[in-house]
Amino acid sequence: MTTVLFYILGLITVLATLMAITRRNPVHSVIYLVNSFFALALLFYLLGAPLVAAWEVIIYAGAIMVLFLFIIMMLELAPTQETDQMGPNWWQWLPVLLLSLGLVSCTLMLIGLDSAGPQGIPNWYATPRDFGYALFGKYGLAVEVVSFQLLFAAVGAFYVGKPESRQKKIKKEGS
Amino acid sequence: MIVPLEHVLFLSAILFMLGLGCVLARRNLIMILIGVEIMLNAVGLTLVGASAFWQQIDGQIMVIFLMAMTSAEVSISLAMVVYLNRRKGTVDVRAFDEMRG
Amino acid sequence: MNPLLLFLIPALPLLGGVFNTCFGSRLPQRAVAAIAVASVACSFVLTVFLWSLGAGEGTRTVLFSWLKSSGFQADVGLLFDPLATIMTLMVTGVATLIHLYAAGYMAHDQNQARFFALLNLFVFAMLCIVLADNLLFLFLGWEGVGFCSYGLIGFWYRKAENASAGRKAFIVTRIGDLFFAIALLWLFRLFGTIAIDQINGRAAEIDPQMLTVLVLLLLGGACGKSAQLPLMTWLPDAMAGPTPVSALIHAATMVTAGVYLLCRMFPLVSLSPTGMGAIALIGMLTALYAASCAVSQREIKRVLAYSTMSQIGYMFFAVGVGTVSGAMFHLLTHAFFKALLFMGAGCVIHLAGGENDIYRMGGLKQKSPLVFWLFLAGILCLAGTPLTGGFFSKDAILLTAFARGDAFFALLWGLGVLTAGVTSFYSFRLLYLVFLGAERQNEKGHELSPLMLWTLPLLALFGLFGGLLNLPHLFGGHEWLGHWLGQPVGVVLPVGTELGLLLLMLIFFVGGWLIAHLRYRTFPGDEQAGWRNFLLQGWRFDTLYEFILLRPYRLLCRFCWQGGDKALIDGVVEGLGQLWMHWGGYARRLSTGQIGFYLQGFAWGFLLILGWFLLMSVK
Repeated sequence: MTTVLFYILGLITVLATLMAITRRNPVHSVIYLVNSFFALALLFYLLGAPLVAAWEVIIYAGAIMVLFLFIIMMLELAPTQETDQMGPNWWQWLPVLLLSLGLVSCTLMLIGLDSAGPQGIPNWYATPRDFGYALFGKYGLAVEVVSFQLLFAAVGAFYVGKPESRQKKIKKEGS
Repeated sequence: MIVPLEHVLFLSAILFMLGLGCVLARRNLIMILIGVEIMLNAVGLTLVGASAFWQQIDGQIMVIFLMAMTSAEVSISLAMVVYLNRRKGTVDVRAFDEMRG
Repeated sequence: MNPLLLFLIPALPLLGGVFNTCFGSRLPQRAVAAIAVASVACSFVLTVFLWSLGAGEGTRTVLFSWLKSSGFQADVGLLFDPLATIMTLMVTGVATLIHLYAAGYMAHDQNQARFFALLNLFVFAMLCIVLADNLLFLFLGWEGVGFCSYGLIGFWYRKAENASAGRKAFIVTRIGDLFFAIALLWLFRLFGTIAIDQINGRAAEIDPQMLTVLVLLLLGGACGKSAQLPLMTWLPDAMAGPTPVSALIHAATMVTAGVYLLCRMFPLVSLSPTGMGAIALIGMLTALYAASCAVSQREIKRVLAYSTMSQIGYMFFAVGVGTVSGAMFHLLTHAFFKALLFMGAGCVIHLAGGENDIYRMGGLKQKSPLVFWLFLAGILCLAGTPLTGGFFSKDAILLTAFARGDAFFALLWGLGVLTAGVTSFYSFRLLYLVFLGAERQNEKGHELSPLMLWTLPLLALFGLFGGLLNLPHLFGGHEWLGHWLGQPVGVVLPVGTELGLLLLMLIFFVGGWLIAHLRYRTFPGDEQAGWRNFLLQGWRFDTLYEFILLRPYRLLCRFCWQGGDKALIDGVVEGLGQLWMHWGGYARRLSTGQIGFYLQGFAWGFLLILGWFLLMSVK
């Protein structure tokens, strides 16, 4: 059963990604991508990485894609026309709807599944405890380095995105 | 494992190619960044698949690091997109060719 | 008397020259001149003092070993034998007088430091030639005089013709130096040593044909330095230098270096009859050629230059005939009267206000009688007036030639007598045109400094009474010089023949004087005839050399420059550069600045790498 589920989820992922890369409106693209990431998270769960699956949803779909949306909306990159004010047409909703329905059904199936594989042997999976031991044990240094990197990123993003100071603006307009 | 490793890798390859196509074919900076995200996810899938195959946790740890770095990268690149948009008023990549030879 | 003191003789002028080079520009002009004169004068005094070391076999001293490697040894050593003694005395003595003269002549020049430094260095180099005990040290001096001569001829180098005259002198004498260098190396190969006395001692060991070639090579070297045919074209142009330079270098010292070399190597040279014949022939032909050219020269110093060439031809002739004492005798008297004549010419040029052309001078006797009488003394010696020094020396050579007896030397003797007549003619021509007759120019003359005037009488005395150095037996003398050099000629001809020949010389002398007197006593002005022009330009040798040597050389150089250097080398090097730049232009188009283009590059590269790995894994 999990095998079939794997292929279905794989199909959903590919379709969602395909839809994502072919949209003109970046917001639509992000939505489809969230779909794709959710399916991917379920795939991770099937492959014995429940923690990674959780993180995929939280970090990727929850933080990164939201950041994308923020920027898109801040820069007003998405086309807003008269017709859009009425909301998109029903057939534009269809792909998302179908994909999301598929995802929900897969999730439900997963919840109700037996954790044993086709041979009846329980699949191997990584518990948080194993994860903790490995992450802060063997890979402890890497954790520190990554935390530095996040700091750099924060500083860099702050600096790059800083608005022009008033004096610079006056100078620019005066020249 | 529930499926042979080859199938996982196949799926991952397809996702990667899709991401690459997005990067190459789109003119919008945001879309390019989204393509990069897709590619990174494909890599993550490969890592998790390998981890499941060898039944070791190291692959998943690599994935978490990958996610951490991706978030850092996205934050800076989106900040740069904001800056570039301020400079040129557009996010079309063809506008940013001042480094031509 | 320590023989090492001999080293001070060349060392003092060297020190003076080096001192003036380093510090001369900071000292007052008089100090510079004083240092230069003092160093050469001390050298002269030292030579007189150490005179006796040179008697008999002479003294050989070595200061230190200069070069020493696998069989080749060249020391800084001096061979102070009778020949060297005489020559050193002459060089230092005449040099002292000329330095004094130059102090007066160059009194208004700005670059006296350079002048006197070069002059001192020249004396040093000449003394190296004279005193050296091995051929390499001699060659050092040989090259040194060439270089100093170049520097001094082209002293006023800002005028292009002076600089090119210096260059011409250097290059033409260099050709001679090449022959000398080959002879030097060959002698080393034959004997394993380059010490002069050893080579002279063992000269009989060489195979006769090789010996002839060696002698001809040495002759080639001597011809270059002494301005004999065919390497004589530089001497007339060398008159572009200041007059003291002409007096010192081109009358008394450098041009006699060739004669001196042949005399030094005489034991070697005399063993080859063909070589001696060649020397005699070259000498006499040059004498005749130069005398003929001097007949029609217009510049006073050029007349004297050709005259020098002619007299040195006589000295070569003497060596070829086999009498070293005759050659040295003539060398000595010639040094005296030629230096006198050149210095007198300097005075004349000053008196005439810088004018060089004798056709525009005249009647200078009234301006300065003293200069006239001194110049007259020199002219009388040059022309071979009986009982002057010039007479005795020239006749000694011709008599020895006549005494040889064979047809070849008799022919040359005849030419010698003819040349003596021509010499008398052009000497008196010079005298008449410059000093006598009506004044043909209107220039106001310059004052003569006493230094310039009062160094001349001593030379006049030596010139007139120089015959006493080597009086032949006919006149009751004892051939002092001949005995000193160890080669007395003795009595070779019966008295009657000798008197007859002397009478012949007298007839030619008087004849030359008469023709000059009749023609130039009252001289109207310019005279230009076709054959005169030919003689004026030195039988057009310059043009000949220009055509057969210089033009092809320039063509070759031009070819190497344009074809070889520019087209080939520059073409390849710059062509390569252009090629890279061209291809770089293509490569430049790869950086479009378009992000999409770069990303595509990534993708394609990624594809290639992937394909490569796949290929590798399949194998």
